[in-house]
Amino acid sequence: MPAPRTKASCAAAVVLALSATLTGCGGGASASGEGKVTLRFTWWGNADRAARTNKAVEAFERAHPGIDVQTSYSTYESYKQKLATQAAGGDVPDLIQLDYRQISQYAGSDVMLDLEKQRKRLPTGKMDPALLKTGQVGGVQYALPMGVGTQALAYDKVAWREAGLKTPRAGWTWDDWAKSLRQLKRERGSYAMTDPGSMEDWFEIWLRGRGKQLYGKDGQTAFAAKDLAGFWAFTSKLRKEGLVSPASDTTQMAGSVEDSPMGREKAVAEFNWDAPSAGYEAMYKDRLALAPMPSGEDGTPGQYFKPSMLLGIAAGSSHPKQAAEFIDFLLNSDEAADILGVDRGTPVNSRQRQRVLPKVTGFQKQVAGLQTSLRGKLEDPPAAPPRGDNGLQSTFQRDYDHVSFDKATPLQVAEDFLTEARTELRP
Amino acid sequence: MANAPASTARATATTGAGEARKAAAGDAAARPGEPRRDRRSKRERQGAAWVFLSPWVLGASVLTLLPMAVSLYLSFTDYNLFDPPSWIGLRNYVQMFTEDPRLLRSVGNTLLYVLFAVPLQLALALTVAVALKSMRRGRNFYRSAFYAPSLLGASMSIALVWRAIFNDGGTVDNLLAGVGLDMGGWVNKPGWALLSVALLTVWQFGAPMVIFLAGLQQIPQDLYEAAAVDGAGRWRQFASITLPMLSPVLFFNLVLQTIQAFQVFTPAYAVSGGRGGPADSTLFYTLYLYDRGFTASHMGYASAMAWVLLVAIGIVTAVLFRTSRSWVFYANEEVR
Repeated sequence: MPAPRTKASCAAAVVLALSATLTGCGGGASASGEGKVTLRFTWWGNADRAARTNKAVEAFERAHPGIDVQTSYSTYESYKQKLATQAAGGDVPDLIQLDYRQISQYAGSDVMLDLEKQRKRLPTGKMDPALLKTGQVGGVQYALPMGVGTQALAYDKVAWREAGLKTPRAGWTWDDWAKSLRQLKRERGSYAMTDPGSMEDWFEIWLRGRGKQLYGKDGQTAFAAKDLAGFWAFTSKLRKEGLVSPASDTTQMAGSVEDSPMGREKAVAEFNWDAPSAGYEAMYKDRLALAPMPSGEDGTPGQYFKPSMLLGIAAGSSHPKQAAEFIDFLLNSDEAADILGVDRGTPVNSRQRQRVLPKVTGFQKQVAGLQTSLRGKLEDPPAAPPRGDNGLQSTFQRDYDHVSFDKATPLQVAEDFLTEARTELRP
Repeated sequence: MANAPASTARATATTGAGEARKAAAGDAAARPGEPRRDRRSKRERQGAAWVFLSPWVLGASVLTLLPMAVSLYLSFTDYNLFDPPSWIGLRNYVQMFTEDPRLLRSVGNTLLYVLFAVPLQLALALTVAVALKSMRRGRNFYRSAFYAPSLLGASMSIALVWRAIFNDGGTVDNLLAGVGLDMGGWVNKPGWALLSVALLTVWQFGAPMVIFLAGLQQIPQDLYEAAAVDGAGRWRQFASITLPMLSPVLFFNLVLQTIQAFQVFTPAYAVSGGRGGPADSTLFYTLYLYDRGFTASHMGYASAMAWVLLVAIGIVTAVLFRTSRSWVFYANEEVR
C-alpha cells in the first residue's frame, strides 16, 4: 500500500524540480559567478558605434575587475519598444540610454534613479550647466547627457563637386538647397537626395527656420495644419520634379543607415544627425562630408545643439554604485574619451571636449568641424518634448506615405496628424 | 479522455477480444471483496496524473491563462506601460467601433489577406498532395522538400529574405525586369505589398499538404476501382470520390489555416518594415494591435483589440462549423 504513494511523491519531487528549472531561468543573473557584479547596458545605433562602445566597456572592465558589463544594441525603433516593455515589466537594464524625446516619459514614471544619490561617484563639475539641465525633470537630475549632437546634411562631396556646386555653408537657405538638388539632378540624371518629408526631425528644422516650434510651453503642438501642409507641399513638389527619392524608396526607411537611399547608394545626400552619419563611412570613405542644415529664407537657423542621448540608472538596479562608476568612466575618463571620440556627439565634459576635438581622425573630424563652425550661431534648443510625443515620430512617417503615394492631399493628412497628436498629447 | 470513445468503438467493432476485455473490466468493478482499496487507488492514480500534468498545468496557467486574464482587465483600462492602469470601462471598445479609421483599414487588409491566402494555400497543398500520392519514386524526398518551407517560413529570417527578394533590385524584380516587366519591387508599392506577404503564406503549404496526404491514403482504393469500372475518368473520380471522402480533412485544414491567417504577424511585420506600410497597405489587425500597444504605448486599447480579435475568430470558426454540415461528409455516417 505505501508503494504507490512513494512513487507519487517521487514523481512530484521530480516534477517540482523540473518546473523549478523552467521558472528559475529568469532573474538571478545579477549575482553570477565568482562574486562578480553584472551590469546591463543597452543602446541604439549602428555597428560602428557598437565597436567603439564595446571597446570602452572592455577598458572599464579592465579597470574594474569585479564588474561585468553585458551589452547589446539595436536600431532606435526596436530599442524604444523593447525598453518600454521592459519598463512595464520592471526589468529595465541597469544603465538606461534615452533620447531627449523619452526623458519626460521615463523620469516621470519612477523608472529612473535620482542621480543626486550617487553624486559622490558621479562628478558633474566639468559639464555645461545648460546641457545638464536636459537630463532634469522637475528639477531632479535623472540622467546625464552623453554628448552634444546636431542635425546635418551628409553628402558625397565628389558628386557635389562634379555638379559644379560649392560646399554648403552655414546660412544657406532651403531655396539654395532645392537649387543644388536641381543641379545635381541635371548632372546625375537621377534623384540626388532622400525625401526629407517623412521625418518629423527635418520638419522641425524647417519650422524653426520660420520662427515656429513643434511644441508650445503647454506641451501641445504649436504649429497649424497649414504649416505642415506647406512643408509637405514643398517636398512633394521636389519629389514630382524627381529631385528627391520617390515614395517607394522613402517608405523603406526604418531608422538605420542601411535601408536609406543614401545607404543603398541610390542618393548622394541625406539629412541625418551628425554623429550617426558615421554609418555611411563604410560606403563613401573619404568622399563623405557634413554640411549645416538649410536655414529659413531670412537666414534664421533651424538646427540646434541638443543632447545626442542621455544616460541614467534604473531606479530598481541592484548595483547603483557600480552603474554610477560606469557612467563616470564613460563621460569623465580620458581613456573612454579617447576611444569614443565624438561617436555619441562631442563630449559634455569640457576638459574631454578640449582633449578630443583636436585629436579625432577620419569622419569624426567632420563632426568636430561642423560643430565648431556652428558654435555660437544657433538658437537655444527646444524644451524636452512632452510625453506622448514618442509615438508621433512614427505617426509622422506613416502619414507621409499617404502624401507621397498620392492617397490624400498634404492638407488632409496634416489635419489627420494634428488630430492624432491632440489625442496622444492629452495630459 | 479523448481515447475513451474510440477504444469503446473499437471494442464493439472487433468481436472476440473486445468482448473479453469488456467482461474483465466489468468483473473488476463488480468484485465485492475490496471496494475501498479500489476507490483509493483510483484516487491515487488521479493524483499521479495531476502530478505528471503539473508542468503543463503550471505552464498553461502562468503563461497563458493569467496573461489572458490580465489582458481582459487591461482592456477596460487606459494603460501606457508606465503609469498604473486606470479604469475607463468600455471606452476602448467604443473608440474601436466608432472613431478609429485605421482599425477599419486593418480589418479590411486582414480580410483581404485571409480570403486570398487561405484558399490559395489549400488549393496548392491539395494539388501537390494528389500529385505526390500517385508518385511511386522519390515521394519521401518531395514530401520533405515541400514541407521544408513550413518549418522555415515562420521565422523572422525568411521574412527578411522575402523582403529582399521582392524588393527593388531583388531577385523577383530582376527576373521580371528580364522579361520586360520592370516594376521596381513589390514590397514598396501599396498595391503589391499585401500580395507579397500573402505569397509568403501560400508558399508554406507543407503542413496542410502532409495532412491532405494522410487523408488521401485513408480513402479505400476499391472506390476508385469501382468508379473506373463504371467508366469514371480522373476528374470525375476526383470530384466524386476524392473530394467528398477528403472533406473532413479539408474542413480541418480550412479551420486551422483560417485561424492562423487571422493571426498573421511575423511576415507582415518583417516585410513591411514593422509599420504595416507602404501607406498602411499591409497594416494587418495584429500589426495595428502591436503598433497601438508597443509603439504608441496604448496597452489598454491593444488589449481590447486582442479580445475583439479572439471573439471575431471564434465567430468565424463557428460559422465554418455551421456550414460544414452541408459539405463535410463523414464516411461512417448514414447517407441521408
